[in-house]
Amino acid sequence: MSVPKIQCVCGFGCGSSLMLRMAIDDVLKKNGLEAETFTGDVGTCLSNPCDVIFISRDLAERISDRAEVPIIIVDNFMDSSEIETHVTSYFNSLNS
Amino acid sequence: MEELIRRENILLDMEVNDWKEAIKAAGSLLVETGNITKVYIDEMINSVLEMGPYIVLTKGFAMAHAAPSPEVINTATSIITLKKPVSFGSPNDPVSIVMCLSCVDKEGHMAYLQRVARVLMQKGIIEKMKNCKTIDEMYLLLNDRKEEEI
Repeated sequence: MSVPKIQCVCGFGCGSSLMLRMAIDDVLKKNGLEAETFTGDVGTCLSNPCDVIFISRDLAERISDRAEVPIIIVDNFMDSSEIETHVTSYFNSLNS
Repeated sequence: MEELIRRENILLDMEVNDWKEAIKAAGSLLVETGNITKVYIDEMINSVLEMGPYIVLTKGFAMAHAAPSPEVINTATSIITLKKPVSFGSPNDPVSIVMCLSCVDKEGHMAYLQRVARVLMQKGIIEKMKNCKTIDEMYLLLNDRKEEEI
């Protein structure tokens, strides 16, 4: 299987989504997982090719009915254990 | 290394009535230091009104920002702590630390933004910020410097 593309989304694609992306990169490295990560903004994220979207709860409502890839909601962008849980369960879902 | 945040962009124990005043107070520092225009403050407030309080990234901490815009003169950050926490309508309320971030563009200042993110991702950083009693303490904490380096 090819490497999954993870899109990290906030309002503008700079700022909080970058923090989320860095936290996800840390988790990937720690767990020896491989993925491509990039940031996007909520307005255009659905037209960026990717395999999964990580996003905050309030922004998720704006795209969830139109998204064609799984959406993973993150409540605390700075909580590495919450992010680790989401990332590892996403990878587990790929293997099942 | 260039400092992450200037002393002039830090204030502690600010008294504000609500989240809008908190963003205004933190944003005003960036106006005074010549990094943004006043219009950018409204853009930060409008982004919360339009997109919700997702800028409250973790318990007690908001990172106000808007899209890169002509109203941004330099990429910079300011930070204030609040005497009385305010509510943003977020699951991570109440908020007692508000940072403002201005980005000139999405790509050009990635290295700076990554440094900001690295500092904020340190374990226990929010508690440490809350416990800062002086501007110097906050300055040293965020710039990851020791007292003798001032």
